[in-house]
Amino acid sequence: MKKSLKGWIDARFPLSSFVKNELTDYPTPRNLNYWWNFGFLSGFVLVLQIVTGVFLAMHYKPAADEAFDSIQYIMREVNYGWLIRYIHSTGASAFFAVIFIHMARTLYYGSYRAPRELMWWSGQVLLIMLMATAFMGYLLPWGQMSYWGAQVITSLFGATPLIGEHIVIWLRGDFSVGDATLTRFFSLHYLFPFLICAVVVLHLVALHTVRSSNPSGITLHSRDNIPFHPYFTIKDFYGLGIFLIVFCAFVFFKPDFFIEADNNIPANPLKTPAHIVPEWYFLPFYAILRSIPDKLGGVVAMSMSIIIFAAMPFLDRCRVPGGACYRPLYRVMFYVFITDVLLLGYIGSQPPSATLTTVGEIATFFYFAIFALLPFTSYWENRLLLHREKLPAAALTLIREEKYIPVDQDDKKTDGERA
Amino acid sequence: MKGCSMLLTALPLLAFAAAADASTVPLADVRIAADAGSIRRGAETVVTVCMNCHSLKYIKFRDLLDVGVKRDSLDLWKGDKDLNAALIGSTPAEVARQVYGVVPPDLSLITAAREEGGRYVYSLLTGFYTDDSGNTDNHVFPGITMPDILGYTFASNAKDRHEIENNAGDVAAFLVWAADPDAGVRKKIGIAVIIYLVILTVLLYFWKKRIWKGLDKGGSV
Amino acid sequence: MNNDQPIDDAAELDEGRRDFLEKGTTIFAAAGVAAACWPFIASMNPSRDIEAKAIATVDLSGLAAGKVETVEWQGKPVFVFHRTDEQIEDMHSSQTSLDPQADDKRVIKPEFLVVVGVCTHLGCIPNRNGAKGWLCPCHGSLYDNSGRVIRGPAPTNLAVPPYRYDGEKKIIIGKV
Repeated sequence: MKKSLKGWIDARFPLSSFVKNELTDYPTPRNLNYWWNFGFLSGFVLVLQIVTGVFLAMHYKPAADEAFDSIQYIMREVNYGWLIRYIHSTGASAFFAVIFIHMARTLYYGSYRAPRELMWWSGQVLLIMLMATAFMGYLLPWGQMSYWGAQVITSLFGATPLIGEHIVIWLRGDFSVGDATLTRFFSLHYLFPFLICAVVVLHLVALHTVRSSNPSGITLHSRDNIPFHPYFTIKDFYGLGIFLIVFCAFVFFKPDFFIEADNNIPANPLKTPAHIVPEWYFLPFYAILRSIPDKLGGVVAMSMSIIIFAAMPFLDRCRVPGGACYRPLYRVMFYVFITDVLLLGYIGSQPPSATLTTVGEIATFFYFAIFALLPFTSYWENRLLLHREKLPAAALTLIREEKYIPVDQDDKKTDGERA
Repeated sequence: MKGCSMLLTALPLLAFAAAADASTVPLADVRIAADAGSIRRGAETVVTVCMNCHSLKYIKFRDLLDVGVKRDSLDLWKGDKDLNAALIGSTPAEVARQVYGVVPPDLSLITAAREEGGRYVYSLLTGFYTDDSGNTDNHVFPGITMPDILGYTFASNAKDRHEIENNAGDVAAFLVWAADPDAGVRKKIGIAVIIYLVILTVLLYFWKKRIWKGLDKGGSV
Repeated sequence: MNNDQPIDDAAELDEGRRDFLEKGTTIFAAAGVAAACWPFIASMNPSRDIEAKAIATVDLSGLAAGKVETVEWQGKPVFVFHRTDEQIEDMHSSQTSLDPQADDKRVIKPEFLVVVGVCTHLGCIPNRNGAKGWLCPCHGSLYDNSGRVIRGPAPTNLAVPPYRYDGEKKIIIGKV
């Protein structure tokens, strides 16, 4: 009975073949390390946020005079409301943590390079959509930080030449952040995650076209690929177990870690909090924004700091495969960049002071300098490394042929059949 | 290539989330109790004393039964109000604004609205003093218009002061509870969840090892 | 016992251990997933404040004989009817055919009838029909002074909610 049902579906819909080719038998490099778990973790957190978000929306009231009270209602009156709320608020931070590590992996191992540019760019689109979703979601509790964070960030759009003021008012639906802003942010916050799902599908289609990169950066022989199931299904679940332990430790024992104290005060349009801070995942970009004294300049710098990642496939001119694995100079630049971002994050969290502003300006300069230097350093690396011939044979072969080895289309061939 | 797996530095990203405004006001070095007795005593003080001016609009009378308040005490406090009614203060907002210059803030979330809120409330209540001109002021909140409701400035000896400090501690304990009434349940479930996840992760680890052991050592990487 | 036996046993033992690990972990994980679903399902149940309000208190002291008081309980009207001796006697001795039920099974004390004032046909609120009972304005269902259906299209008698007496003069409606 079961067999014929499967057969009945397969005659009308490529279910079995899809599962076989794209999931269970999907060839994956055998040497992937645990940094490759973070794509799966991102997907998991996305689903978690959507599920908790939908259930929260059953009780949340998207109106300025009811929103704050409705969150307290969820926390105190709805069965397990406190749990669903804390999973959602912790999940937002978890999402960014996982995504940043996922990006760092991609940068370190050079997974953004040809032929994976579209994966990198779709990932960038996903990052920007995630930031928008998180920003709009943060307004919904209608606390002091929610309100004033939204007020500050929406006013940034006023830096646009000529039409700036009109854009800000159009965005807000009012002259300052208000009920109109809240209702539209709720509508879009509910919508965006589903758009994110659609772009995730594009991201995965691109992945399955070029297949996963691996820590060496060299496309492996097809015999070094192993089926995704059971090797990487179990590895992903194991990684998920570790993730959930850390995640649940926050949800159950320190849920207020990610909730600003000021956000437990209802929004007051007539009183600005002493210290407006965005959530931690926006801090480096916030620091860059504040580093430039000019309003428009700050907005441009902040936007560029996110968009510049897109240029990575072009900035990196090194013909040595992969990322930091065989390239000590790139490795150093990577670590300098990470340190710089952490420093910027710290600066973003502090109130502005003379010393911090100067340090912030230097850190911002370094941030962009690293990108600007990359074409030159990658070119030098070419000359340095290729000259010394310290690379493995496969890497040298690749370089000499100066084309990437296409993925073996028929992975079922035995060794005897291969040339 | 195992040699290529460079460890990314353990990034103390979380340090930045915690880098909130350090309170410039010195808070009393006291641990706010979380036991039922302290919370119950604090409930009595808050309902009979603080609620003359303050409200706790997210707490209902029936919620107080959860902290061990006796039914007849509760009936006394609520009078003819419904059991499901919220704890609203006796003084109307406008009258309070005229007398004190501000509307006394709602206390439901007061300890969550500040870093170390429990200690803040305790320090505020025991922070009243009489300044040189004979006016009452507060170390934690200079220029406060709230009167010294627990009478700390009138305490003449150590015993009286100690009693008021205990009272303040109970009030803080109650208000910490009021800001997060489900904290107890949350932690209990949390322990069960973490234990479950640790067991599950260990099982998954051995299963992963078993599956990967079957992999031959061939190949170039 | 030949030389193969211990090796076979070892392989079988290994198989058994593998099965236990796989089956055990899967069952353990599935249990966790099921447990994780529960809070979401539970969150859709009525919240604590709605559960708390599922109790209505009725003071009987002001209710004269022959009069009906309507109170709200769980969003529905409940008829509290102080019956006259004549009406009690009438109901006690009469029987209905559509949904037979003895009158004394429908009341705790015969003086007061407590029924949910929602017609069992399609949910309209019946009106008082003089001193004889209730008449539903929507489709003409008729109920007697015990809330029993005399004429349809209603299929069953008016529902009796859970209630109890709190002293002589107070009724508490709802689960307590």
